[in-house]
Amino acid sequence: MLPKEPLPLQSAMNVTKNSDEKDKPIKEKNTINRLVGFFGSVKLSIFILSFIAITSVLGTLIKQNAPAEEYISTYSETVIKIIVFFKLYDVYHAPWFIGAVVFFALNLGVCTFTRFFRKKSSASFSLPDEKTLSDMELSFTLNKDLERIILPLIKKKFKKKIYDGDDGLIYEKNTFSRFGVPIIHISIILILVGGLVGLIWGYKGFLVLHKGDVKEKFLLRGEETKEMSLGFTIRCKDFNISYYPNGSPKDYVTTIEVIEKGRVILEKDIRVNNPLNYKGWHLYQSSYGISPLFMFKIDGKEVKLKEYDEYEAEGFIMIPIKFDASIHNFGPGVQVAYLDNGEPNTAWFLRDIPKMNHRNLAGKSVILEDIKEDLWTGVEITYDPGISIVWTGFALLLLGLYINFFVISGKVYIRRLPDALIMAGVSAKHKERFRIILEKIVRGLNGTDPS
Amino acid sequence: MELIHHKILGLTTIIYAIILLLHFIYFAFKKEAILKAIWWVIYINFILHTLGLIFRWIDSYKLNIGHAPLSNLYESLIFFSWCICLIIILMKKRLVYPIITMFSIIGALFFIAYASLSPGVDKGIQPLIPALQSNWLHIHVITCFISYAAFVISFICSTLYFLRFDWSIMPDKNTLEELNYKSIMVGFPMLSAGILTGAVWAHYAWGSYWSWDPKETWSLITWIIYALVLHARFVKGWRGNRLALISIIGFFSVMFTYFGVNFILSGLHSYAV
Repeated sequence: MLPKEPLPLQSAMNVTKNSDEKDKPIKEKNTINRLVGFFGSVKLSIFILSFIAITSVLGTLIKQNAPAEEYISTYSETVIKIIVFFKLYDVYHAPWFIGAVVFFALNLGVCTFTRFFRKKSSASFSLPDEKTLSDMELSFTLNKDLERIILPLIKKKFKKKIYDGDDGLIYEKNTFSRFGVPIIHISIILILVGGLVGLIWGYKGFLVLHKGDVKEKFLLRGEETKEMSLGFTIRCKDFNISYYPNGSPKDYVTTIEVIEKGRVILEKDIRVNNPLNYKGWHLYQSSYGISPLFMFKIDGKEVKLKEYDEYEAEGFIMIPIKFDASIHNFGPGVQVAYLDNGEPNTAWFLRDIPKMNHRNLAGKSVILEDIKEDLWTGVEITYDPGISIVWTGFALLLLGLYINFFVISGKVYIRRLPDALIMAGVSAKHKERFRIILEKIVRGLNGTDPS
Repeated sequence: MELIHHKILGLTTIIYAIILLLHFIYFAFKKEAILKAIWWVIYINFILHTLGLIFRWIDSYKLNIGHAPLSNLYESLIFFSWCICLIIILMKKRLVYPIITMFSIIGALFFIAYASLSPGVDKGIQPLIPALQSNWLHIHVITCFISYAAFVISFICSTLYFLRFDWSIMPDKNTLEELNYKSIMVGFPMLSAGILTGAVWAHYAWGSYWSWDPKETWSLITWIIYALVLHARFVKGWRGNRLALISIIGFFSVMFTYFGVNFILSGLHSYAV
């Protein structure tokens, strides 16, 4: 798919290159130029951008990264096949989507380069002829003698002279505003590059911490069992939730200690909106919850167990596998799995029912004395080496937007005619403001009629 | 509990309706004096509307849960309406066409009336949940809603573009096109700033500057549509119907970003707007 009409600049380039290097195979040069033309075409950018916008919608309509059962219950078999084939359950990380974004970044780069940086040399500042000038929307015909008065005024307002000839002059206001668009484009490329860097070399994970827990590994997101080492140790010193009088949560605070080589390096309260940064790692307050802690007495010995904790003594193995905060109306209970002479078996314990809170399991006396609520805090962990690139992109983007949209720019042409002076102004983006500036100058002139 | 700001905002709503009525009277009699009066009432109502926002802020401090009124659907609707009024005042010099101010006022009236009258919108002042306790809240919400308000003007101008009435009150097509483009020139950088501030905030609050949450995604889609409008005009030289049509699509995307995402899709933004 090649653009039907190459950019005028591109075709001009073809001509010069080919005539300069007649000896070289013309075909090869053409292919390269065509390729550049293809990558740098605005049509292509519009096409890819539209493609990205439309496919992005899919990700908001189809639930992303949901458990398989959810898709099975919602969609038919054929639709599921399509969803799996195109990875529509995780659109924004599907290879074709990332491919489209990378392709867009390349296109944007080539497009910006050819349109703004090469074009400059070919752009000549020649003074339009009399007719063109007088046909312009903002055009004034002035008394010839006014030239010596108007030039300083124009110079004061427009600063930069970009053409000076016998036939007239061209002044330009805020020439740098020309760089607004390339700055915006480059900043978008930077943001995309930063995003890609983060995607490739970054990590995201999650850590559940109970008060007093010491950890140096966390679970990677999207993986069931894969753990990743932080390279340092963290300890959850404290976790607190505070509430407003109406009962809604006011603040979640986890106090984290960073420990290296046995020494506490740093202590910080992390809250929502206030993460801990250490060696490129960010630790965020993300969620919290309550997990039960079961207080058993096994053969007269106190044993504290969390869900899925394994208890083993003298060949007896027991694991609490299921907690229920309320079984019918009998209060909280826990189901345990144990080995009965080598055979797996399960049994329920109900805390508040005297008959049901103790049992003999494989010859052991097991008593459920209490179920305590154990508060945990969920800490999200990220490592993103692309973040500084993204921030740079953001800052540049704001600068570019400001220059492009809010800085008033434009050119003013002054042509000397045998019997008069013609002045015309052009501003692509700020016609009205430009009109006001020029009209003010002309009105000022009328007060100082030299004749 | 009826607080003072509810009374002020109620009065503001009524005055928006009066401004609308004044427009009808103007179209009936075409007297310059009425037009002048319209603008004076708009100014006065803008001050009143601002006072309403300030008093809601003060009232929240009286309840000991002080925060800027930018945190839930009710507050965002009131603020959106305020932004529309702000935009028509800022663009007054260009919006000399009563038909455009009339539709803008209808917009402002619709959103403020929806906020106060819809039973589905909770008018109470809620304390800020932890995720919203950030200074980024203000700059993010302000930039986003100014952009939305600018896109309202763009939508009005592009819709009028398709109405082929030969009324004297209708601005000519060139003017409508120019106004559409001018409002996108305000809306687009503001939307960009809104998305960027949102991303920086998300980095601090959610641990990721971009999570493809439906609201983020839809704001990006909106951004792409308006970027296409600007490029179609500047690079491809598109004018007329095609450009007006994309602007209208852009505005539907804005409205979907604002309402649709909250009512239809769920995501990280679900606590507010």
